Amino acid sequence: MGLVAPLAACASTGSGVPTLDWYINPDNGGQAKIAQQCSDASDGKYRIVTQLLPRDAASQREQLARRLAAHDSSIALMSLDPVVVPEFAEAGFLAPVPDDVASASTDGVAKGAVAASTWRDKIVALPFWANTQLLWYRKSVAKAAGLDMSKPVTWDQLIDAAKKTDKLLAVQGAKAESLTVWINALIASAGGEILTNPEASADDAKLGLDTPEGKAAATIMQKIGTSGVGGPGLPSEDEPASLTLFQGTNGSFMVNWPFVWTSTQTAVQSGSLDQSVLDDIGWAEYPQTTEGKQARPPFGGISLGVGAFTSHTDLAFDAAQCIVSPEHQAQYFISDGNPAASLKAYDDPKVQKAYPMYALIRKSLEDAAPRPQTPFYNQISTGLQRTWYPVNRIDPDTTPRTSSDFITAVLRGDRLL
Amino acid sequence: MRTALTARQRFWWTVIAVVVIVFALFPVASIVATSFKSSSEINSGTFLPPHWSTENYQQILSSGGSAQTLFLSALRNSIGISLISTFVAVVLATVAAYAIARLDFPGKRIILTTALGVSIFPVVSLVTPLFNLWREIGLYDTWLGLIIPYLSLTLPISIWTLAAFFRQIPWELEQAAEVDGATPWQAFRKAIVPLAAPGVFTTALIAFFIAWNDFVYGISLTSSDRARPVPAALAFFTGASYFEQPTGAISAAAVVVTIPVVILVILFQRQIVSGLTQGAVKG
Amino acid sequence: MTATTAQAHHKAKASDRAKAEARLGWYLAGPAFVVMLAVTAYPIVQAVYDSLFRDQLTDPSGRKFIGLRNYWVILTDPVWWQAFWTTILITVITVIAELILGFALAFVMHRAVRGLRGLLRTAILVPYGIITVVSAFAWFYAFDITSGYVNHWFDWVPGISPDLNWFASRGTSLFVIMASEVWKTTPFISLLLLAGLAQVPGDLEEAAEVDGATAWQRLMRVIIPNMKAAIMVAVLFRALDAFRIFDNVFIMTKGANGTEVLSLLAYRQSISQLQIGLGAAVSVLLFLCVVGICFIAIKLFKVDLAGARGES
Repeated sequence: MGLVAPLAACASTGSGVPTLDWYINPDNGGQAKIAQQCSDASDGKYRIVTQLLPRDAASQREQLARRLAAHDSSIALMSLDPVVVPEFAEAGFLAPVPDDVASASTDGVAKGAVAASTWRDKIVALPFWANTQLLWYRKSVAKAAGLDMSKPVTWDQLIDAAKKTDKLLAVQGAKAESLTVWINALIASAGGEILTNPEASADDAKLGLDTPEGKAAATIMQKIGTSGVGGPGLPSEDEPASLTLFQGTNGSFMVNWPFVWTSTQTAVQSGSLDQSVLDDIGWAEYPQTTEGKQARPPFGGISLGVGAFTSHTDLAFDAAQCIVSPEHQAQYFISDGNPAASLKAYDDPKVQKAYPMYALIRKSLEDAAPRPQTPFYNQISTGLQRTWYPVNRIDPDTTPRTSSDFITAVLRGDRLL
Repeated sequence: MRTALTARQRFWWTVIAVVVIVFALFPVASIVATSFKSSSEINSGTFLPPHWSTENYQQILSSGGSAQTLFLSALRNSIGISLISTFVAVVLATVAAYAIARLDFPGKRIILTTALGVSIFPVVSLVTPLFNLWREIGLYDTWLGLIIPYLSLTLPISIWTLAAFFRQIPWELEQAAEVDGATPWQAFRKAIVPLAAPGVFTTALIAFFIAWNDFVYGISLTSSDRARPVPAALAFFTGASYFEQPTGAISAAAVVVTIPVVILVILFQRQIVSGLTQGAVKG
Repeated sequence: MTATTAQAHHKAKASDRAKAEARLGWYLAGPAFVVMLAVTAYPIVQAVYDSLFRDQLTDPSGRKFIGLRNYWVILTDPVWWQAFWTTILITVITVIAELILGFALAFVMHRAVRGLRGLLRTAILVPYGIITVVSAFAWFYAFDITSGYVNHWFDWVPGISPDLNWFASRGTSLFVIMASEVWKTTPFISLLLLAGLAQVPGDLEEAAEVDGATAWQRLMRVIIPNMKAAIMVAVLFRALDAFRIFDNVFIMTKGANGTEVLSLLAYRQSISQLQIGLGAAVSVLLFLCVVGICFIAIKLFKVDLAGARGES
């Protein structure tokens, strides 16, 4: 008996450690590393296993929603794009966050990231990392165009500068989520909102597209689409394609997420890009839609949700708190180029060294405007992509109205998407 | 009539054979070539890889490869689910086809017509309700949750093919054996089974191809490594890193799952053709 | 015993036998029959029921009975009609292409010497056995603007240049989608036609040849009329199959640039958008389309499915 007991104990620690499945978006391995670290730190309380989701946000949502609708108990943790948080919370797919966890994990976190994890005034997910776009520019081009980049610039100035220097502007015109990101930033920067009553039911949703702000956004997009400064690749240009364009000989200005900095550095190190290109890159605040009005850059990132049907809710919240600790956020920022949600992480000297523009990122996160926080986000975004694409066919006089009517009809179930 | 070929005929037949073989195998050769391109040469714009590399195969097969777990579990699911549903379909179809070929009973035509109707059913129409039902009763993302709907693909064709095969069997042999003193079971086993076995085998091959080919059920009724079959997994591959297209890994996986098909086709060409033309209603 | 009672006895015995045989028949064939109904009839009835609701999976509180409204929404929406006509277009073109190519292949195999015939059959069975998704990827990667080589090979053809993005516009996308579909399914149709060719009486053909008919006349006057049943059945089954096209479109374009087909529309509504009600309604309509095609084929063109299968 004395011999058997320790063996049994041994066996139970070997196989009895609860496994927490963490569904992650594809990255450069940073989340898997954090999973390992937190498993080790838990001292045998739990083991986190990462499960890979598809590449784009829409397919990630589709995968998770289908499993959760099936009441899948194997989903403990999920890396959620902020735009799906309200939908999942409303559908009851997310385990309620205990108050102490909620306050601990939102302490010292960027406002936008907290807002993105909130639904109906409750924290429903833990902010993990927060993303925002900057205006990246080629110093040589800005100089040639005579543009003073130390002050905020407007979209019109950028278009003129690109035209004047005969270069191309890198924006995301592909029929994808990145198009919605762009539209939202333009409208928000003009002071408008795509959806004015995010908590309303589908039937009562009121859109802010057919407004002066919507028109201002459409005017800028049309100008880029028709004047040729967008280049021939605009209809299929996503974020990586924008970066390629920006790094090339025609590059001038680009709006994009901070991953471009790590990417460009890696490209220089591997020898596929010249050091002079890296030295020529500058950064500034997101361009203004209306002159003098503070720009509202896009907001993105990932919040960590706990599945409503997991049998290890408490352990999952323990693990979630470990994952989103400021140290892990800083580590992830450095390893994968995804900015931390916690403002504390920006004080880390290693972050400051890796991202010389850290202060600008932190400020942008504070100014950023999230995309509509609504359970019907998917319909709105798909509807926008249907009506505002391709960019060169946008008409400021009709597009906002058609788009508004179409999305309203979709939300009421009168039209197909 | 067609004995010795003249030189001219021989020439033209060679040309025709080459054209047909290129038509049939070119896309396969194309994906094989792509699967051997390294990630830096995947966009080389040439048909053949400038340098042959097994990098993509390592990605899906060697431990630590970025797509290894995804691919190997999908392979296991595909083989398991296809084999089981083929087996169930062939067993059910064999007894049904035996009854149809041997016995005279009302409703025979109804069964055959039903099989026909089921085989032309749009699979997508079944997916929505099955998805709904499966998630309620817990069959979503399980092997059984795919095996059952796969029967809608494999069962009708098995019944048709087997019924056609069985109708050609000289059943008098059975009676002859019984007259010779064999019990009905012995008569069946000794006289009929050897004649029926090739038909059953051919049917199983065709049913397996159909189950192996399924995509709609595979992507709709699964969502993880637990049950996702290969065709669905191919559509979910991600590149080695976020900004890399998974072209190479998908090609390599596609080649791996095509090899068994090619082997079966080479070994059993004659049987497959007879099965398809005898009772086949669906490709 | 009188003659009449003997007869009656005999009759009763015969009907007993018939009853026993019927019972045995259903015992044997019943399970397969029940399974077939369970996996198709039940879901389609469920789909009809689901289609009467407004039901989005992530909005459980918004579920309500709305009668036939989903059908009205779908049938008045250009999205449905665009997908409908695209599906018809793909069906018609691929079936015609497959028929011509399949006939050519069948003819070659029919005339080929024994050894060669085996080789050719093995070769064309490869596309038949290959997974549709694999075929889709093979064609996609060959034409893709970044990883493909087709643009480089054919840049001497007017309209094709290294900058041609095949998957950026409707016509070119549909061309590649249909090419993959035709390649994959022609072998099946050619085997069916080969079986039909074998049934054409050889002496008829020879007689026509003796009478001085050209090869073309022999084909049109003797061979094709004698194969009519086989051709009709092959066409109907391929048409129904092509009408349900999904895999190639999903892999290559996901329905972008006006390439959406009905199956994909149904899939997107219910599986991607989780609009169970609308998705079920699209599914039911798709089912009705297939029934409609069958009905037209059988009533109008008198395709005798059972007869052609030796089933009368």
